[in-house]
Amino acid sequence: MGYLVTFLWGWLLGALLLGLGMGWIAAVHHGRPVSKKVARWLALLVALLLAAAVAHIVPGRFGYWLDLGLGMFGVYLVGCAIGSWLRDILIAHQSRAS
Amino acid sequence: MRGLFRWSRKWWPGVVPLVLLWIVAAWRTTGPLEADLTAQATATLKDSVLNRVGLSTAGRDVTFAAEAFSEEGRSSAVASVEAVPGVRLVNDQTALVPESKPYVWSAARDVAKVTLGGNTPLPTIRNKLLDAARATFPGVEVVDQMNFARGAPNRFDVAALLLIDQLTRLKDGKITLSDNKVELEGMARDLGGREAIAAGLNNLPDGFSVTRNAVQAPPYIFSAIKDPVAGTLTLSGYVPDNAVHAELVAAAGRKFFNEKVIDKLKASLGAPESFAGAVTRALGALSRLSTGTLEVSDREVKLSGDALYNAAGNQIRADLPKDMPRDWTAKTEVSVKPAAAPVDKTVCQQLLSELLGKSKIRFESGRANIDPDSIGLLDLLVATAFRCPSATIEIIGHTDSDGDDKFNQTLSERRAQAVADYLVKAGLPADRFKPMGYGSAQPIAPNDNDEDKAKNRRIDFVVRQ
Repeated sequence: MGYLVTFLWGWLLGALLLGLGMGWIAAVHHGRPVSKKVARWLALLVALLLAAAVAHIVPGRFGYWLDLGLGMFGVYLVGCAIGSWLRDILIAHQSRAS
Repeated sequence: MRGLFRWSRKWWPGVVPLVLLWIVAAWRTTGPLEADLTAQATATLKDSVLNRVGLSTAGRDVTFAAEAFSEEGRSSAVASVEAVPGVRLVNDQTALVPESKPYVWSAARDVAKVTLGGNTPLPTIRNKLLDAARATFPGVEVVDQMNFARGAPNRFDVAALLLIDQLTRLKDGKITLSDNKVELEGMARDLGGREAIAAGLNNLPDGFSVTRNAVQAPPYIFSAIKDPVAGTLTLSGYVPDNAVHAELVAAAGRKFFNEKVIDKLKASLGAPESFAGAVTRALGALSRLSTGTLEVSDREVKLSGDALYNAAGNQIRADLPKDMPRDWTAKTEVSVKPAAAPVDKTVCQQLLSELLGKSKIRFESGRANIDPDSIGLLDLLVATAFRCPSATIEIIGHTDSDGDDKFNQTLSERRAQAVADYLVKAGLPADRFKPMGYGSAQPIAPNDNDEDKAKNRRIDFVVRQ
């Protein structure tokens, strides 16, 4: 894991920044969210992919790409969470000030 | 937390650029990642003793193929690749080097190159053998056809190094080590090479043995040329050692009293068995020729030249092959020298006296058996006697004063008779010879020292006028 982070840090940082941006926007966005049903299916899909990665089922380059994708997706989610949380704090702070 | 859940349902639009980023990352990083993992795995195997190592990486999965020389080495090598940071899986295609039974190794030599083939247990031993071959044969191409195999006998490397050393003594040939049995074939570089190799093989490590030694040596040559014009006997070729050398030169001196012995002999190993005896007998036959050549090649004797008279030619042709030791062969190409012109009695006496002045007829000590060294002299006496057919010759035996007078008298008579018998056997009429003995009654020197006593022990030829 340490080796992959060292080797891929730039791409992971990109995913993190993308997540921060998306999270920042999502906190105030009025667009349509995904339905709960779809969200569950998506979570199941991610869980299956995660299980496949942990079990080393997918061989060779596809296995690496799966690891890479899941890693970037995980960092993206962390970025989203931080971005949304920061934006939420900022909004709450502005509301109290006004 | 509820907020986070609410927000997360709106994070999906970012997944689209994330997927694009992922595709670009996969495209840009796969090659470098694979190269880096391969380099790290190669580096980690640097100190492992392996054969035919093959490493390839797909993503984070390494396919590792190699032949190991022990199970411990194999598992340790796989573990070290698995431990490389970043490697996800190792596709283990390693195996042990095959075991060989019988364990065969060979070293062959021809004019142009030295070839090492067969099995060798470890890269270090292989390199050691190749280095030894290159050092032993400077300037000669060393061809490596060795394969790795397990199952080498103990101290294989010591035995193989010794065999490479023995290969220097071969002009061409092959040495094969099969388990702990050694087989050799080929042609030795020098005379004595076969013996030198046999001696070298005594240093093989315990447990190793020679099952076949078919190394041949160049022919062991000896020659003697009797040249009556130059008055020389030239000895050349090889003798096994200094003792035999001295023995043959001494025998030649006794047999060829009329010729100067030119000694060009060299000592060398590799003489066939019974060499000294065979050559001494062949020199005896040569001494009976007026001119001739003796050639000995291994166990083959070839004598050519001219005998002094007919019966001598017949005797030489018949006796020489019979006189040879076992496994020796003799070929004779002996013709007979044309008879010399007759001479009168005075010249005949002069010629006989001259011959007996140069040498003496020798007998076995205390007996009347003629010493074989004196046959050459006797043949010259016979040839001279043929030149004066009308002369009657007294053959007179003398002894020194040692011993009983009666015994000496009898001995001198018997010795004179033995000489007369030889002459008759050579084809001369018996009635021309009067054998007689004087015992010690007619000394020609005082009997007070060995040298003078030897002068008194003699046979005289007196032509009756």
